Amino acid sequence: MTDYVDAGEAVPHKTLSATKGQAPPINDVNYERIRNARNEPANWMTYYGTYDGQRYSTLNQINKDNVKNLVPAWVFQAGSAGLHAGASTYSFEASPLVVDGVMFVSGPDGKVWAIDPTTGEELWRYKHASPYDTSLCCGNVNRGVAVGHGKVYMYTLNAHLIALDAQTGELVFDTVNGDVRAGESGSVAPLIVKDMVVVGSAGGEFGTRGHMDAFDAQTGERRWRCYTVPKPGEPGSETWGDENAEAWQRGGANCWVTATYDPELELLYQGTGNPAPDFDGEVRPGDNLYTDSVVAVDVNTGEIRWHYQFTPHDLWDYDSTMENLLFDAPDGRKLLAHADKNGYFFVLDRTNGELVRVFPFVDRITWGEITPDGKVTPKVYPDEEGVPVHFWPGPAGGKEWTHMSYNPQTGLIYVPVQEVGATATRRRREFKESIPYWGAGVAVDLDDHYGFVAAIDPLTGEEKWRWNHEYPMCASTLTTAGGLVFQGTPTGEFVALDAETGEKLWQFQCGSGHHSSPTTYEVDGRQYIAVPTGWGGWVEGFLPGLLGAAAGDALFCFALPQS
Amino acid sequence: MTSTDDRADELHAAGLDGQNRTALGRLLGTGKVGHAEVGDDGVMRATVRIPEDELIFEPSILVFPHGGSVELTLINDDKNTHCAVLPSNGDPKIIWLVNHSKGIARLELGGPGTYYYGSTTGNDEGRGLTAALVFGGEVPDSAKLDRPPQPRP
Repeated sequence: MTDYVDAGEAVPHKTLSATKGQAPPINDVNYERIRNARNEPANWMTYYGTYDGQRYSTLNQINKDNVKNLVPAWVFQAGSAGLHAGASTYSFEASPLVVDGVMFVSGPDGKVWAIDPTTGEELWRYKHASPYDTSLCCGNVNRGVAVGHGKVYMYTLNAHLIALDAQTGELVFDTVNGDVRAGESGSVAPLIVKDMVVVGSAGGEFGTRGHMDAFDAQTGERRWRCYTVPKPGEPGSETWGDENAEAWQRGGANCWVTATYDPELELLYQGTGNPAPDFDGEVRPGDNLYTDSVVAVDVNTGEIRWHYQFTPHDLWDYDSTMENLLFDAPDGRKLLAHADKNGYFFVLDRTNGELVRVFPFVDRITWGEITPDGKVTPKVYPDEEGVPVHFWPGPAGGKEWTHMSYNPQTGLIYVPVQEVGATATRRRREFKESIPYWGAGVAVDLDDHYGFVAAIDPLTGEEKWRWNHEYPMCASTLTTAGGLVFQGTPTGEFVALDAETGEKLWQFQCGSGHHSSPTTYEVDGRQYIAVPTGWGGWVEGFLPGLLGAAAGDALFCFALPQS
Repeated sequence: MTSTDDRADELHAAGLDGQNRTALGRLLGTGKVGHAEVGDDGVMRATVRIPEDELIFEPSILVFPHGGSVELTLINDDKNTHCAVLPSNGDPKIIWLVNHSKGIARLELGGPGTYYYGSTTGNDEGRGLTAALVFGGEVPDSAKLDRPPQPRP
């Protein structure tokens, strides 16, 4: 036989694509610039658009009068090759960022792109390789990147914080921050505050101990870690049974949704996840702090200044990881709004955690009751081994992690609402690291579900209007100064609603369900609305009635026609 | 208990260890297990071959002691053309492997965990040309949770 033909050396896949490998330079995105992001409506510079989590844009080129003319400007397909983790559960969940004419967005399976936001042209790409066997409760997903200090930051599926050069996509640093053998993973969009990058852990369904972490934005060195389950002897540890109990070690309270931040108070508002095991409370007696809470964390030290627990001693998987939206009352009082999985809407004083108001925002609540003064009374829960118990809302909640938005023009908060219940049957099991640790069999209702967008006045608790849909709303709302609310539906429609009345003004069928956070931006005087689509993630939790719906992974971008 | 030989015999008897026997292709993961060697430079090296008419990377399971830098030598002994698309931090790597060819792939992969690679031409992947890179080890202490050691399965 002759000598082997020289096949050479394997080359990066992207070299056999049209990607350019370079993005135009952007101006420095530093703390001051992000802090004043509202003054740069052309950009969507940080996860929620602004630190306060309002998901509101002052752009108004697209408005209630002309939105009927909105058309696709371009579509970007994520695509996939070969076997990857969560092959049947991947979902395009990100919130695209746009800075100085460059879009930065993450997709499923460790992908990050820089994209021309006017044409959809791929400028550069980076793909972090994540193990096929990473423990994932809820799919191969990533909620977005942070941009600043000349870099793009992503928290990867296998819990690495990576930093990329914003112009080239080349790796700057890669810091391992989580223990995949313990069932930890990463899905959160990082948040840049000062000279730090803040992320949080995922893995509550595997009995991890939740934490949020801040890193030096230049080096990736960890500055602080804040555990959201206290050790024996620490404040709150008395809520985990006696001193010798082991429950705290697997207590959950993970931080898998981006915190909001008040620069004046220098407090991060982090929602925390469910306790573990999710449904078997007998093995973790007590309130189980700081699960299902908002913790106000000092950004300089990582210390918890105050907390408010939405569901003490949770027995229904009612994470409170979803956003804590910051807004000010007309009298100047600094408030925080939170629509919890448990079906109640909370308004707190964000300086001290004092309850201002609590009221239900869903139609069906059977798990228990919370009185106007905040007293919690559980009523229905899986406390007897092998006995099925049905309750509303189901474990994905009256509202999942997907975000509400606040429009200062109307004073209303637009909440994507899920009306779906579930049955849990307690089945005790021993804890083993990396194995799901639920303590129950769970089946979410396959029918008897619906959803709506609720326009809520957070100052009174009044629901001003609702836009009804056959299916639960499983995607974030976006609201603009054009008098609009945008909402993606599980059946693929992207709709624009009148922010004052809820009337549907426009829709476009994107071909796959929405489970992401749309954003808006402006380049060269043209306003765009970007929305990742692709039905996936924890569908069996929030809408199993559509488990058979088509997957997808396309990023749609809309604009008014150019004359 | 099933020994290694018993398992191989079972697969052979069931017609699952070759092409176009019971199934159309070869069941994934039924090839040999190989182990990488760690060089003085810390790079983990191994060789995989595509034997004639077997449509399999052999060994089809490669074990590495920990995550890090990998150098794979890929040899196509088949009389057909294949390729390999392999995971690597930054971007997957691709190498085209014409009949009777040899090349290398340099990869950066974190551990612990399992990655799969395959020949992405036609349906090579489904016929058997999908193989695993398995990384052992633990994450750094700095990435571990502050809690006592926990039971594992």
